[in-house]
Amino acid sequence: MSDHDKIYSTKFQDKIERSTVLMFVLVAIAVAIGGIVEIVPLFYLDRTMTHLSPDVRGKVDSKEISPVVWQRETGQSLDDWKPGDGVRPYKPLELAGREVYIREGCYLCHSQMIRPFRDEKDRYGHYSVSSESMYDHPFQWGSKRTGPDLARVGGKYSDEWHRRHLKYPREVVPESVMPNYFFLDDRKVDVARVKKTMEVMNAMPFYPANYTEADIQSAANAGGKTEMDAVIAYLQSLGNHIKFTEGVNYRD
Amino acid sequence: MTDKHDVSDMPTTGHVWDDDLADLTNQPPRWWMLGLTASALFCVVYFLYYPSFPISTLGDHFRGLGGWTAIKEMEADKDEVDALRGKFEARLKDMTPAAILADDELSEYVRRSGKVLFGDNCAACHGQNGIGTHDKQGLFAPILNDDDWLFGGRIDDIHTSIVGGRQGMMTAHKEILSAAEIDTLANAIASSQPNSTPLFVEKGCSVCHGEDGKGMHVMGSANLTDKIWRFDGSVKGIADTIRYGVNSGDPQAHVAVMPNFKEAGKLSDAEIKKLAVYVYEFGGGEADAPAEAATMAPAPEAEN
Amino acid sequence: MNAAQATPVKYDMEVVRWFSIAAVIYLVVGTLLGVWIAAELAWPSLNFIPEIAFGRLRPLHTNAVIFAFGGCTLMATGYYMVQRTGATRLWSNGLAWFTFWGWNLVIVLAVITLPLGITQGKEYAELEWPIDILIAIVWLAFGLNHIMTVAIRKTSHIYVSNWFIMSMIVMITYLHVVNSLAIPVSLATSYSIYSGVQDAMVQWWWGHNAVGFYLTAGFLGIMYYFVPKQAGRPIFSYRLSVLHFWALTFGYVWLGSHHLQYTALPDWTGSLGAAVSLAMIIPSWGGAINGMMTLSGAWDRLRTDYILRFLVVALAFYAMSTFEGPVMSLKTVNALSHYTDWTIGHVHSGALGWVAMVAIGALYHMVKKLWNTEMYSDSLVNVHFWLSTIGTVVYIVAMWVSGIMQGLMWRDYDEYGTLTYTFVESVFAMHPYYAMRAIGGLIFHLGTLVMLYNVVMTVRQASAARGAAAVPAQA
Ligand code: HEC
Ligand code: HEC
Ligand code: HEC
Ligand code: HEM
Ligand code: HEM
Ligand SMILES: [Ca+2]
Ligand SMILES: [Ca+2]
Ligand SMILES: [Cu+2]
Repeated sequence: MSDHDKIYSTKFQDKIERSTVLMFVLVAIAVAIGGIVEIVPLFYLDRTMTHLSPDVRGKVDSKEISPVVWQRETGQSLDDWKPGDGVRPYKPLELAGREVYIREGCYLCHSQMIRPFRDEKDRYGHYSVSSESMYDHPFQWGSKRTGPDLARVGGKYSDEWHRRHLKYPREVVPESVMPNYFFLDDRKVDVARVKKTMEVMNAMPFYPANYTEADIQSAANAGGKTEMDAVIAYLQSLGNHIKFTEGVNYRD
Repeated sequence: MTDKHDVSDMPTTGHVWDDDLADLTNQPPRWWMLGLTASALFCVVYFLYYPSFPISTLGDHFRGLGGWTAIKEMEADKDEVDALRGKFEARLKDMTPAAILADDELSEYVRRSGKVLFGDNCAACHGQNGIGTHDKQGLFAPILNDDDWLFGGRIDDIHTSIVGGRQGMMTAHKEILSAAEIDTLANAIASSQPNSTPLFVEKGCSVCHGEDGKGMHVMGSANLTDKIWRFDGSVKGIADTIRYGVNSGDPQAHVAVMPNFKEAGKLSDAEIKKLAVYVYEFGGGEADAPAEAATMAPAPEAEN
Repeated sequence: MNAAQATPVKYDMEVVRWFSIAAVIYLVVGTLLGVWIAAELAWPSLNFIPEIAFGRLRPLHTNAVIFAFGGCTLMATGYYMVQRTGATRLWSNGLAWFTFWGWNLVIVLAVITLPLGITQGKEYAELEWPIDILIAIVWLAFGLNHIMTVAIRKTSHIYVSNWFIMSMIVMITYLHVVNSLAIPVSLATSYSIYSGVQDAMVQWWWGHNAVGFYLTAGFLGIMYYFVPKQAGRPIFSYRLSVLHFWALTFGYVWLGSHHLQYTALPDWTGSLGAAVSLAMIIPSWGGAINGMMTLSGAWDRLRTDYILRFLVVALAFYAMSTFEGPVMSLKTVNALSHYTDWTIGHVHSGALGWVAMVAIGALYHMVKKLWNTEMYSDSLVNVHFWLSTIGTVVYIVAMWVSGIMQGLMWRDYDEYGTLTYTFVESVFAMHPYYAMRAIGGLIFHLGTLVMLYNVVMTVRQASAARGAAAVPAQA
């Protein structure tokens, strides 16, 4: 157990192995690098976000293509937004639905990220772009498709279909393995909580929602709505924000 | 791994932990050292070929010498399938659904491509192959493989249903009719003779369902004489339909909304035409003087 | 074996005993949850109440196996190895007990909150912010105690296991703190400060390295102690240890973006992840061969030493899953495998084959040492070994078939250039494989029950013997 003179690696390595502090410091540096290189640039490189990417911005400015992000004019409310006007923050009821979506773990079976593949285009529609999830704290892209992608499910079915499907999926789709969410019909949306959530979304350091006071007050309209109404509102809001122009490269 | 690598004769580094833990001074296997170097080189080559580094003098990222991007890869893949379907799609483009139906080659193409289009977009409501979906509350959306049609079963009617969506409306009558009147009507309808009671005309049912009660395709009102029920066909069920209506805004009304696939941008014009043909071919489609159809000018919806 | 020791050291082993028993119990619970959610996918009517529906129990499964089972194993072995390789007691036995109760409190809170749907919605980081804070405190206490014990060691050099544990401690601290930053709405709800692409990258930087450092570096540390111990042989190559340690420590961190291939992230991030992932085969195999070759000259012991069997098979699965993973990182392969059950198969060849097997080997070894006894039944260890191996193989074979089938069905085009299969056809086609996976998982789970029984009987037997002979436990 005594010290040994002969070193079978390098002097420096031997020094590291003798010193707790040195090993700690070097490890702490070694494991920091990869993450910094991959994460930090995503916060400042313009091309990361579709709407900031110079190519796309040029086309938007010259009105060649529809806006990627909704530019709200003063006095406009969230309800003045129309599909195709660009990505916007969630409306109060949708936000409440999103909370249910996260709570029930829908993201564990459903992705919300259409990859640029021909089959995904044929099945789900235009590939997803980064700006579409800019108001998603946290992102809901998922990592497993036990059920189909939901990135563009908005408008695909009627509210009534969603209601019946969510309650008892196998009644409408016999092959489905999705759990029954009948209980969502009995639970009411908590307006105060929605307002609080909107305030939190305003306080985000990255991509705050910038809800106006009027927006936040409009959460009162969600009063009396059920969690079922809320998830359906959320689902119906997915994927129709941007009006994509065929042939335009939205991903740089 | 066998004992030919018996390496126990090598000396250890001389350090010992916990009585008997020690390290032998064997060199790592040669292939491993080569592999490690090769891996590092591989990274360099890969980084040069692919877009890989978030640094460049232009405030952009390094684009890679190979010029690869995910979008280019997709375009190349799309070209492959476009080559297969291109000739069909090119012909389809300016044809009416009826003309497509009359063309053997194209209708075979539509049968193939319609399967997934229908299965992924429509079957959720209309069931696989249009057999309908029945849940606890009854039939969810019309059966598409029978010959009972709300909005008409000619191919152009079907096409219109898909292009614009459908939302048949029947008003609620609970305030207009007395319970007894509703009862009379429900019994008459249940026995397939709606106009056996004068109420049917007096109370305005015939405005939508026709004097004979056979329904009118323009407004999607149901045929009340064919014993095919869109909703619950029991006397009580029929009474409820009369009471609350369909899409009438009454909280207890039946809700029957067929989404607008065109406006929502879910399906292209070509896809909608294919679906019209596909649905028509379920067997319930109504004849439409085929000779005339084939020569018909493109329908207005088919052009945009 | 300890006879040669000049000055016998007294170690703090009671806390290790508790952590070890907890690990065995959590393995039983975690795999039972796995079997349950597997069954839910095969027979969806099992989702009868919201609290046990798939979407709520899946996070409980992952948290139970990773944090409860994995965490208790890491802390048990960590405290065990750091004392013995440093020939010193713990820097603070009291702090070690704090970590035991603190960590178990985290687990209890997870068991309560996750079925209630209290979650942040980030994979493997679902626990809400107050629990996150508790995790951070307990983790730092564990880290401090471990590193300080390394610092006060009596040996000149730091043993290789402790290098790995140290890199795990540092990395998990970074990951947990950065990934968990969130703004609370209430005590039970909060939202990540990141969104969209940035959140995705932060999440998978965390997600991959929870695998890379927690389930790999940490368990390599375990391997480096228990394989040579159980085999009674020195480690094959010191230089290999050094090289693959630094290569993994520096390299693994870059891999996170292989989870985001082709997503809305810029192309460069996926390329970085793909290339470095492929480059990780060799460093990973460095660990695997260093363990395997340690057995040179002792291979015959596998016939009788069932604990050694667990360790060796674990290394084989480790080598396999660290080959599979890099292959899955390549853009073209990931295009097929992403979103499918192939990922799940890969996860469990790593999780069952490597993490659980190596942990089981280490736990059996420790139980014998900690209670200074033989196992109640060696043949039950052998039974357990076969149940684990067969269960794992059934599981991953089912997922390979279903995953690749899923991927191929989704992208299949017929000769007319149109999609061949609807989505629900792919769902329907999965059914037999989901059932097969549930059965494989059940077999694996039965093995863990055998282990629990065997360990309980061993401890009872040891306590009875001690009671009779009135000899204090010798550590
Ligand atoms: C166990 C896995 C699972 C969970 C959890 C799950 N789903 Fe599903 N989902 C499926 C499967 C499988 C399908 C496809 C069959 C069908 O349509 O039911 C599906 C289909 C859907 C569809 C129809 C998509 C389409 O384009 O046809 C919607 C919408 C949906 N799910 C929403 C949800 C929501 C909202 C939640 C959470 C409250 C949820 N799902 C939870 C498995 C799941
Ligand atoms: C959200 C559910 C839903 C989806 C998805 C849906 N439909 Fe419908 N569809 C309906 C309902 C409900 C009606 C009846 C509307 C009414 O009663 O006014 C209907 C009516 C129709 C009709 C008219 C039937 C008749 O009797 O005249 C056709 C044709 C049709 N759908 C075809 C399709 C096709 C093709 C698709 C897929 C592209 C599709 N539907 C998708 C719900 C749906
Ligand atoms: C404003 C037009 C309108 C009026 C007035 C109207 N209906 Fe209807 N009715 C419809 C339509 C449209 C449908 C089909 C709804 C659907 O399936 O979308 C329908 C469906 C029905 C059905 C259900 C048929 C089935 O297959 O399940 C019954 C029964 C019925 N009507 C009875 C009546 C009676 C009785 C009256 C008069 C008291 C009446 N309707 C007045 C438009 C009308
Ligand atoms: C009896 C044994 C087990 C069974 C039957 C089982 C089953 C499952 C199932 C059904 C899933 C969900 C898959 C899906 O969404 O399609 C899952 C996920 C997961 N399990 Fe297990 N599991 C078992 C043991 C373990 C162990 C021991 C570990 C870790 C040490 C583990 C780690 C994970 C992880 C990390 C995931 C998430 C995978 C992902 O998100 O991609 N499992 N398991
Ligand atoms: C060099 C070694 C490895 C590499 C390069 C690697 C690579 C990958 C890749 C490419 C995926 C799929 C990502 C996706 O498409 O979504 C994945 C998923 C995963 N791997 Fe590995 N893997 C390695 C080793 C391991 C080991 C040893 C384990 C042990 C448990 C493991 C656990 C997981 C888990 C849990 C996931 C699922 C993540 C999720 O989607 O939730 N991996 N890995
Ligand atoms: Ca996952
Ligand atoms: Ca968390
Ligand atoms: Cu990974």
